[in-house]
Parts: sequence; C-alpha cells; structure tokens
Amino acid sequence: MPEATNRLGKPAPVPDPDTRPFWDACRERELRAQRCTRCGRFRWPPQGFCPACYAWEHDWVRLSGRGTVTAFSVVHHSTAPAFKDELPYVVALIALDGTGDRVTITSNVVGCPWEAVAVGMPVEVVFTAISTEAMLPQFRPAAQG
Amino acid sequence: MLAKDQAAIVGIGWTAFSRDSGASAMTLAAEASFKAIEDAGLAPRDIDGVTSWFHGHADGVHPRELGLAMNLDCPFELYVDSGGHWLCGAVLAAASLVVSGVCRHVLLYAARNRYSEGRARRPARDSVAAGPDQFRLPFGEHLAATTFALPATAHMARFGTTTLDFAHLAVTQRKHATLNQKAQMRKPITVEDHQTSRWISYPYRLLDCCQQTDGGVAIVVTSAERARDLRHAPVYLMAGVAGEGDTRALWETNGVNLAPRLYGAAGITPRDVSFAELYDPFTGMCLLHMEDFGLVPKGEVGTWVTAGKNGLDGETPVNTHGGLLSEGHLLGLNHVVEAVQQLRPEGVRDDLCDGPHTYDRATCRQVRDPEIALLCGEGGSSAMLLRRG
Repeated sequence: MPEATNRLGKPAPVPDPDTRPFWDACRERELRAQRCTRCGRFRWPPQGFCPACYAWEHDWVRLSGRGTVTAFSVVHHSTAPAFKDELPYVVALIALDGTGDRVTITSNVVGCPWEAVAVGMPVEVVFTAISTEAMLPQFRPAAQG
Repeated sequence: MLAKDQAAIVGIGWTAFSRDSGASAMTLAAEASFKAIEDAGLAPRDIDGVTSWFHGHADGVHPRELGLAMNLDCPFELYVDSGGHWLCGAVLAAASLVVSGVCRHVLLYAARNRYSEGRARRPARDSVAAGPDQFRLPFGEHLAATTFALPATAHMARFGTTTLDFAHLAVTQRKHATLNQKAQMRKPITVEDHQTSRWISYPYRLLDCCQQTDGGVAIVVTSAERARDLRHAPVYLMAGVAGEGDTRALWETNGVNLAPRLYGAAGITPRDVSFAELYDPFTGMCLLHMEDFGLVPKGEVGTWVTAGKNGLDGETPVNTHGGLLSEGHLLGLNHVVEAVQQLRPEGVRDDLCDGPHTYDRATCRQVRDPEIALLCGEGGSSAMLLRRG
C-alpha cells in the first residue's frame, strides 16, 4: 500500500491501473499524457480507451512541461489542516502544450505571488515531493524565451 | 423524452432550516415527507415509490430506511449517489415511475444535517485521494468553492465579468430571502457588505457562498390524471432532461447541451419562462446557468444582474426564495418547492403577506401571474420546465 498521506498530512494520490503510468512518470520528473495510437488524440483523465474512436491502444507521450493557465482560484480558507500553513495558495487549470488542447490538468501555481496569477499566463512544470511515494507536478511562471 | 405534461407535483413539505436541527436526519426526512403527503391530500400508505439522492460519503437517509420507518407498503425505492447535478433528474425519475405505471404516487425527499454533522465529516472525506480525487485533493482542491471558482475566473477573463457583478446577484437573492419565513439568512446585505466580506476562494468571498443547512424537503409526484383529483391544483412537468456531456469552453456549463433539448421538448423558448430557480451554490455558477439556459445572451449576465433583471419584478425573476445562497441548501429540492408554491393559484404561503398577495416588495415575494418555471441542477447537468395547472 502506498502511503495515504505525507508527513504533513497531505493526501497523496492513490494511483490505479489507469493512472499509474502518469504518477510513475512524475516520480521520474517527467510529465506524460496518454494518447490514442489509432487516431492520435490525447485524453484526460487517463482511461483505458479513446473517447473519440474507442480504441484501447495508447501510449504515454512525454510532454515539454509547458502550459497555460486557463482558470484559477486563490484558496484563502481551508478546512484541511495540512493546507492551512500554505494559505493563500493557487489552484489552477493548466492546459498542457503539445496535447491539441485535450489535456487540462488541475495543479498549483507556485513560485510567484498569488496576485500575479492570471488566465493566459504561460507556466512550466516543477516537481515537488510530498512523500517517498508521490511527486506532484506543480507549475511556476515560464522562463522568458 | 417523457411526454409533455404527463406527470405533476401535487404535494410539498419542509422542515425548519437551521444550523442545528437537534433532530436526526431520519426525523427531518420523515417530517418533510409527512407534510408533503398531507399537502397532497394523501395518506402515507398511498405512497408506493420513494426516492432520494445524496453523496454516499455524506449524511442522508436511504429510501429503504425511510420507507421502513414510515411503514409504507413495499414501495419501489430508488437511491442515486450524486449531488446537486441530479436535482431535476430526481424529479424526472419520479415522473417516469408514475407515467410508466410502475408507481402511483412517488415521494422524493432530501434531508440532512449538513451544518451540524456534515462539516465535521469533511477532514476524513478529504484525506483519501483516490479515483477522480487523486487529481484534485493533493493540490488542495477540496472546497467546492475552489472547484466552482474555476469556471468563474474563466468567464471573468473571457467576458470581463467582475466580483461586483457577483455582489449584485448576492444582494438581490438576499432581498428575496428577507420575504421568506423559512430562509436561513433574512438580514439584508449591501454591495459593500459583499465586497468587504472575507475571501474564501478567489473570486468567491463569504457572501458568494451558499448556506449549509440542517433540514428536510419533500415533494409528491403523481400522474397528471390522478393529480386532478387531489387537494391542490397540479403543477405539471412540461419537460425534463438530465445527463452529462462535453462542453467546448470552461466558461460554459452542460446547460448549453441540455437547453435546446429542454425547450424543444416543451415547445417553448426561454422568452416564455416566467421565472427561474437555478442551482446557485456560488454566485458565479448561478450566473453561468442564467446564460446557458438562455435567460440572457452569453457574456452579458454581469450587466443583466447589475440592472436587477433577476429581481421579483425584473425581466426573469431568479431564485425568488433566496436560493441556496440565502434560503438554504437542500440539494436544490427547496428550489422545486419554491417553484411549485409560485405556480399554485394561491401562490407562496410563507412570505410576509397577510391575506391575498399584494406584490408590495416589503412583504410579498409572489411573482405576478407566472405560467412557466425553469429549474436546473448543478453545472446545468439536469433541468426542467414546470407549468401551472
């Protein structure tokens, strides 16, 4: 069994057969997304078959780790003890480059004041270990150029 | 599609809405149910179908337990593990049971101690990040306020909607609640109160967030034919739709998929809607629902609510009871109770009017001569049109 939580009490992701390749890649500090090898369409969240052509064959494509903030929230209030020390923090939807707009994941924007976060902001992945088992893909403002 | 006007809501009941009921969820469910059955002019053993919905991990009473507690006569039971999305789907399911002949009278209820008990269960619920939660909880997305902030910021970026627009919605709905004896929040608020209330999850402040409620609500659904002989004038289900579909943009809800089917099935347009009770866990979601069900063109809702077009005497009154924001949160089944009250010939019975409705907005929340009500569940994932009998 993977650790349910890290030492701070944050819930760690519990991978399942559909999602394990994603989390395994994160542990290698790689962001990967699932792509149908018949029709070439990316998909999210991970699932066994393509929602467009229903083929089961797929691969996991390594992405650049760059993306764009498409929506966000600044969390100022938390009922979860593990997150209280981090308030306020940013939860955002990140549309990942190279996926044909098919992969938008929920994550955090870190490494800048929350006031600086905006829809349309270019970001890049940064990996944060939250337990010996789990590495979270978070995002920071993209380096210029 | 269920054929038009083949089922009707004939009974409504509710308990007090509070933050500390001091009663079990079973007691709340039964109290609301007995009242709804009595309101319909029926006896408990006339009920041969019982249905409810709530998240399996939250507090609620399974229809099997309620049916046994009320000593019903082997009712058909239907429980759905869902949240506010399912609201109009629950009514549609009850209607399908009576139209198909499986049942004669179906009881639909929502009852829970969400404030006094549900809040305490949060930490345990939020500690396991499995299934879809594995992509949310590790990132600190455990509040509904955060989840439903996301479409709001997308809408703001796309259309220039502001938190001042949210304020006008909150203020108008609170105004409606001041005319509602059962509303949890009856103290008027101002735009300034909204703008100075504390942040919960940007762009939502405290006054953008719904209530959490201890209470129960119930309705009785039967066939149009049986409805004619009961105590109150029937309120007919013109059309109902429910189901998830893909949406093109973050600033849209599933309402864009369902609205054309809903209006098509009823043979009307949004202009025919007299008033609407739209799912409003947060101000921003209510605004999206207003647009996606065609009350106002996409992108223009901020201006619309700022002009008060959603008020009791506005273009299309919305959430005439105060909504989840100010009346209380019983999964939106309280919205259905409000719509039925508004559509009955005698009108709402728990405003501040003494005697006939005056339409004086110091005491009266009755909408003028309403014919058709629009309702929707969370994310526009279920919707229906009700018609006065």
